[in-house]
Amino acid sequence: MRIVVMPPFDNEFFGGKDRLDLEAGNLFGMVRELDALSPGFSDVAGVRAQFAIDGVVVPDWSTSLAGASEVILLPRVGGG
Amino acid sequence: MSKIHVTTTINGDESEFLCTPGETLLDALRNRLGLTGSKEGCGSGDCGACTVVMDGQMVCSCLVLAAEAQGTTIDTVEGVAEGSELHPVQQKFLERGALQCGFCTPGFIVASKALLDHNPDPSETEIRYWLAGNLCRCTGYDKIVRAVQDAAAELRQERTPA
Amino acid sequence: MNAPESKRAFRYVGTRPVRPDGVEKVTGKAIYGPDYQAANMLHGAILRSPHAHARVRSIDTKKAEALTGVKAVVTGADFPTTEHIIMAVGESSSDLVHLSRNCMAQDKVLYDGHAVAAVAATSDEIAREALDLIEVDYEVLPHVLGIEEALADDAPVLHDDVFTKGVNPTPDKPSNAAMRVEMGKGDPEKAMADADVTVSGRYTCEAVHQGYIEPHACVSAWDSDGQVRIWASSQGHFAVRSLTAKILLISEADIRVTPLEIGGGFGGKTTIYLEPVATLLSKKSGRPVRLAMSRAEVFRASGPAPGAVIDITMGANKDGMITAVDMEFKYHAGAYPAITAHSGASSALSHYTIENSRVIGWEVLCNRPGTKAYRAPGAPQSIYAVECALDEIAEKLGMDKIEIRLKNAARPGDPNIMGIPQGEIGYVECLEAARDHPHWSAPLGPNQGRGIAGGAWGNYGGPSTAQVSIAEDGTVLVTTGSPDIGGSRAAMAMMAAETLQVPYEKVRVAIADTSSIGYSMVTGGSRTTFATGLAVTNASNEIIENLKGRAANIWEVNASEVAWGEEGAVCLAEGKTDETMSLAALAARTTFMVGAIGAESSVNPGGFLPGVGVHICDTEVDPETGHAKVVRYTAIQDVGQPIHPDYVEGQMQGGAVQGIGWALNEAYLYNDKGCLDNPGFLDYRMPVASDVPMIDTVMVEKFNPGHPYGIKGVGEVPIVPPLGAVACSVSEAAGVRMRDLPLTPDRVHEAMHPDD
Repeated sequence: MRIVVMPPFDNEFFGGKDRLDLEAGNLFGMVRELDALSPGFSDVAGVRAQFAIDGVVVPDWSTSLAGASEVILLPRVGGG
Repeated sequence: MSKIHVTTTINGDESEFLCTPGETLLDALRNRLGLTGSKEGCGSGDCGACTVVMDGQMVCSCLVLAAEAQGTTIDTVEGVAEGSELHPVQQKFLERGALQCGFCTPGFIVASKALLDHNPDPSETEIRYWLAGNLCRCTGYDKIVRAVQDAAAELRQERTPA
Repeated sequence: MNAPESKRAFRYVGTRPVRPDGVEKVTGKAIYGPDYQAANMLHGAILRSPHAHARVRSIDTKKAEALTGVKAVVTGADFPTTEHIIMAVGESSSDLVHLSRNCMAQDKVLYDGHAVAAVAATSDEIAREALDLIEVDYEVLPHVLGIEEALADDAPVLHDDVFTKGVNPTPDKPSNAAMRVEMGKGDPEKAMADADVTVSGRYTCEAVHQGYIEPHACVSAWDSDGQVRIWASSQGHFAVRSLTAKILLISEADIRVTPLEIGGGFGGKTTIYLEPVATLLSKKSGRPVRLAMSRAEVFRASGPAPGAVIDITMGANKDGMITAVDMEFKYHAGAYPAITAHSGASSALSHYTIENSRVIGWEVLCNRPGTKAYRAPGAPQSIYAVECALDEIAEKLGMDKIEIRLKNAARPGDPNIMGIPQGEIGYVECLEAARDHPHWSAPLGPNQGRGIAGGAWGNYGGPSTAQVSIAEDGTVLVTTGSPDIGGSRAAMAMMAAETLQVPYEKVRVAIADTSSIGYSMVTGGSRTTFATGLAVTNASNEIIENLKGRAANIWEVNASEVAWGEEGAVCLAEGKTDETMSLAALAARTTFMVGAIGAESSVNPGGFLPGVGVHICDTEVDPETGHAKVVRYTAIQDVGQPIHPDYVEGQMQGGAVQGIGWALNEAYLYNDKGCLDNPGFLDYRMPVASDVPMIDTVMVEKFNPGHPYGIKGVGEVPIVPPLGAVACSVSEAAGVRMRDLPLTPDRVHEAMHPDD
């Protein structure tokens, strides 16, 4: 499955790569895979990251990735 | 530090308190008399959240020394409603949604009532300039001005003999 | 009471009832942060740095401690050593060490007003007297305030442990550039070269304060068993709990935060300043301690939103299609890294479909208070530049300023700059409403100009918990963990009344302390009516199902044979179709015979949609003085389904006037020592009633299919368009393009009379 990594995470954690190819059953698994590539990522993911699965922002990390083709990793946007 | 004994009439009731020479009327109202309806937004007379009426004159209570209240008559937001009956200004603020957080509201209620006591039919411009000493950051003033207009209309109707 | 005016078949949703907490707020009875008093309470005060940047060599508190009436003194040395962990703050995040050191400096002070010590005493006067007795030995360091100056090679560096995030590889030298983001698509260089028309400009705006009228205040009581009670006003008492717990190494269950009424926040009360300090003072003194900021402290040490320097180049073809945007913005971060570069970059172009773009954003540290969220954090600044550039393109092409926006407007399903489809957004409808509004075609007077600008904000969902319970007489109690800043109690009551089909007046709403309800994220990010409202709706539906079951048992029919309506439970079973049982009757008959009636719902919903708006502004400029006055203003916004339209319009009007202040008046004035010269409302000039006209509103109601009541967040968008709308309006009135905010009379006058 294609992972699109939005800035600043691409440079901050993945050596500038903004496209990754990973498989995982759900977003918990996805974060585990991303942490394996960049140890420490999972420590900040909970508060800094959010995910869009096939174009839909999904807050619940239990959401299954079965059949998904693309996950976008983006910063959680702070609101006021 | 020796304290000053002050006797005053607040919202129609005789009231007395001790204060320090440098204490503001706002602090005395809030901390000595428990009248926390008057708010401190700035302490420098710029926001109007502490507006009270003293001997018929609208003042920022943060700019008045508590000792100056000796012998005066003071009306605060707590005295605007008559018992449990809201003043039309209060009622119209509710009906118009003229408050959001509500922190500046007591100052606006006191100032608006003072305006209508003094001018029963103010124009929009007169309302805006009268209330220019009261800051509201939530509403953009639109619904406040409309509430005051509504209250003015209702009070005029009440005053018109049937 | 106003008449119902809902366009859909709702009974309460879309009407304008009086809010349930209204009377206590118009009579002065409501208890806000600075109003709360605990028995035997001490009064605290904070000593603040008079320097913009200095090393704290030593602090001698002995004389202060010896003063009669002083019960405790706290400095940075009393704060536990914390780890560099990333904490959620509001919907954003911060390093725990930075959060802690912002509450109390531990080695360096980073801005004028940075807390260095605190005292608790038996009176406020004694506490302040004691502050004068604390001796701080400062080694004053060079300071830096400006964005470009802070990026210079020889600039004083604020932190030796901040390395620019978002560049690869991460630099090994610390700098004031806290973060860089770059996003975009297509080939902006080629598209720009091929464009029929291009415009370029540098736009600037100043840091501005959120300007809530209630200064920060709290009371904290530490008990000898380690439990802490805190009474505070904030946008989220769960955030107060978690941040205080992590900074002081206390478990969260040991801190009980009771939310007081909040006097405005706008994003600025999603973090903490005072609570850990008050808690340490209480721990040392054994008594409850109040800390309250003065207005000057609020200005010197809280907020603001970042100022910005934005360079933009925009290209279009001769039909007005925007073919390329290349922009780079730099935002103030203040004393600590913030997280607004990403939202500034992702929001900048989100309301348009532009094939080729590059957006680079920087966050820059400087010796000012750390920036905080302020309604749509990061978006007003970058979108200000985009809207002004669009205005210039339209002028160059001789095109109508709404037509050019319609031509480029994002439509439902169009992907944003990150490739995420935008859902049911109503930007086109907003632009059409602007075009059809009488304001757009009204004639202008002499020295007047008209500006228009759009804007967008992504909005959010987030975790919320709500309980709904039915009293023994059938009246309804809704309890949430979401502070009510602008009428949300009314919205919660209306959604519960609508769902349960009971009169609005039968529903009352309470906001519970952190020990009495499940976790709820801050009231911010335009999320409360959306997310907490969903929890209220879910819990109400669960109660209906439960009550249908109870009625079925009373009637001895199947639950599937019971419906729910205005009359309560309605029997559908053959032979019993005349049977109904009201909520009051069910409560009276089953509370003791079956059990209490209540349900709780915890949600973390997706389905939130971006908000979009368009504002039209007319200004009149006095050529003699350069003073610009807003003479007519219209705010148009896609609000989804408004629950209580008064409070939706109120968000639009309030945000618009805050934006007008940002555009025309508000700015921090620092002296050459880096100290703030205008920490008060007299010289930090927020709009007053006589500065503005009525703010006309048009609610475009494009239902959100992802929410049972169609809600879209509305609180943040309204501050996005005003900067551009006001700047374009003044530019037209003055006859010269104005790119530096605020548009103060001296600036406008100078632009109009360059030869004077």
